[in-house]
Amino acid sequence: MGLSRDPVRIVVVEPLASADHPSLGTAEALRRIGRGARLEVVNDAEAALELVRRRADLVVLDRRLGKPAERVLTALRQSGPPVVIVTDRAGAEAALETFRKGAADCVTASTDYGEVLPVVALEQIRSHRRREARRAERHRIRSLERIHAAIVDQFPAALAVLDAAGCVVTVNPEFERAFGVGAPEGKPLAEILPADLLESADLIELLARARSGAERAPRIARMRDGERTRAFDARAERLDPEGQLLLVLADVTERERLAKNVRDLRRYLENIIQNMSSGLVVVDDAGRVAASNPMAEQILGEARGALRGRAAAEWFGHAAAADGSITRSLRAGARVRGAEGVATRADGRSVPVAISSSPLLDADGTQLGAVVIFSDVAELVQLQSQVLHTEKMASLGRLAAGVAHEINNPMGFVHANLAQMTEYLGDVGRLLDAARVGPERFAALAHELDVEMLLQDFGQSIRESQEGSERIRHIVQDLRAFAHRGDGEWVDADLNRCVDGTAHIVWTMMKHSVVLRKDYGPLPPVRCHPKQLEQVFMNLLVNAYQAIEARAARGGAAGGEILLRTAPVAEGVVVSVSDDGVGIAAEHADRVFEPFFTTKEVGEGTGLGLSTSFEIVRRHGGSIRSFPREGGGTTFEVYLPKQGPPAP
Amino acid sequence: MTPPTLLVVDDEARILSVLQRALRREGWRILTAGNATDALRILEAEPVDAVLTDHKMPRMSGLDLLEAAAGRRPAAARFLISGWPDEVPAERLNALGIRALIPKPWDDAELRRVLRDSLAR
Repeated sequence: MGLSRDPVRIVVVEPLASADHPSLGTAEALRRIGRGARLEVVNDAEAALELVRRRADLVVLDRRLGKPAERVLTALRQSGPPVVIVTDRAGAEAALETFRKGAADCVTASTDYGEVLPVVALEQIRSHRRREARRAERHRIRSLERIHAAIVDQFPAALAVLDAAGCVVTVNPEFERAFGVGAPEGKPLAEILPADLLESADLIELLARARSGAERAPRIARMRDGERTRAFDARAERLDPEGQLLLVLADVTERERLAKNVRDLRRYLENIIQNMSSGLVVVDDAGRVAASNPMAEQILGEARGALRGRAAAEWFGHAAAADGSITRSLRAGARVRGAEGVATRADGRSVPVAISSSPLLDADGTQLGAVVIFSDVAELVQLQSQVLHTEKMASLGRLAAGVAHEINNPMGFVHANLAQMTEYLGDVGRLLDAARVGPERFAALAHELDVEMLLQDFGQSIRESQEGSERIRHIVQDLRAFAHRGDGEWVDADLNRCVDGTAHIVWTMMKHSVVLRKDYGPLPPVRCHPKQLEQVFMNLLVNAYQAIEARAARGGAAGGEILLRTAPVAEGVVVSVSDDGVGIAAEHADRVFEPFFTTKEVGEGTGLGLSTSFEIVRRHGGSIRSFPREGGGTTFEVYLPKQGPPAP
Repeated sequence: MTPPTLLVVDDEARILSVLQRALRREGWRILTAGNATDALRILEAEPVDAVLTDHKMPRMSGLDLLEAAAGRRPAAARFLISGWPDEVPAERLNALGIRALIPKPWDDAELRRVLRDSLAR
């Protein structure tokens, strides 16, 4: 006669058996339920209530206990396990009275007590358990209903339940808020939602498909809302066989706007990167190409998409300058701007490049790699070399007057000597004629013409003419040597020789008006392009010469002095050119190294001389400055490091 | 009778040499100087009748030299020889009373004729 696997706990409350209260056999009767029931027998109210608090499925209360029985019944009346009253025949009436006070059942210990009590007890326990289960179920449903209501109220999308006819059953607050409707129940959807929203995604058709259970993907519906367009993710779901539908409209306006912003930004950046006239390569922290643009591929002579995954060193690793820039960005997070380097193309050709490299950081500042931007500067290098050469020719042009003078002098005396030799030859002819006439005639003429002196002068004229033509040849040679384009190699050169060679050429052209003083110190070899430096010294010397000429032209004394000095300094050398010429006006002092800045007349200077010199010296890692010389004139000072330019 | 004295000045020694030969047969006493400083020293010391000087010279130009010569020896005839006669300021030529501006290169016969006019006694 068991109940279930869960043992039932029964608390029996009865007086201690005595002469006044003989045992009714309650416990014995209940034990007949079997092992499925655990029995606790107590004799007072407090002990009974304590057991009930722990857990009890049934309380069997002996009415004969009197007051304590009343207390137990009162305590358990509102809640708690059912209470079955038992009593002897004498107390049967009173027992019925307590039954009215809330007892679940009442049993009198009669002859069949042993059979009746277990049946009553089990019945009470069963119905108690059923009640408990129903109560738990009601509780659970109420809780679910609260959760559901909270979800529907708080759900950030508009929800509507529609009946089979397409009329609104209910909506959530978000629906009312989103579409500005109140109490839409019973109305068809078309009356509530804006027409453009319904039509843009054909929501009526979406609902029809949902009702018929057809495959349906979410749609985007749009509506005008003042200035802007709002977008909704629309979905529909059949709720029951009767055809009730749930319509969900989630506002995705902001999400769409952000997504569009991201797309626009991406397209914007992509446009810039794809169309920029420089090559762009992004390398990861291992130096491998993660991304590149078409110009990078073009400069490096690679096919579309062929750069990805390869080591940047493949192209840039052959030149320290380029590779060093990338490495420094990767290892030290350095930003390198405009380093001059060489890239090796796929076909093995070298391309001069200007390369900038910056670390690539994520939002947290963690370095992901490096961004490398480079340009093919072959054309620029060629232009630069043309400018250098043009300026060189121009400075030669500025010397033209001096050259003309220097050529004119020997030309002058060669010319005069030729005229004299013609005369001497005439005299020799006359002497021959006289000799044919006779010895006396010859002797007389020889005396008259002073033949000794004539021959001496003739010889002198020939020697001087030879010397003059030789001098002209030298001048032309020097000019040609200077005009020659230098090769682009870095060599360790003796700058005293370089300075003196240039001074020799230039001074030849200006020695008619200028005294050149030289003060050369012992110099270490300097890593340089000697031909380019010659141009710098030439330019400074010609400027000094022109400053002296300008001073004379303004009414100052003619002629002047140029002091050319070289001296070793820490880690390099200084070459200075001082003149006592017209000087540089204070307001021009800051501008003399600017390209195209000139105070000279048209045709006298290109305005590129000093800026070209500045650029040449800068490329040698040196510096050039000017300052007024004491007593008038200007000093230009060039510093050159003996190691040449530092690695970028 | 002492021959007239001609001072020839040029910073180019070969010019002095060829000029001396060109004028040898005129019978004049010819003195030479390679620069203005030497020329001024000679002017102080010698009875110079005529000065023939190159214009473009370092430190002191031919015109400046002739100006100084006019102060020291006003009676001496002054001649300027120049490779760029056009560049010599005409107003200074007149102000200094230059007898002739001779272009370089010159014609020997013409040069002798010009000098003879001034030096013939």
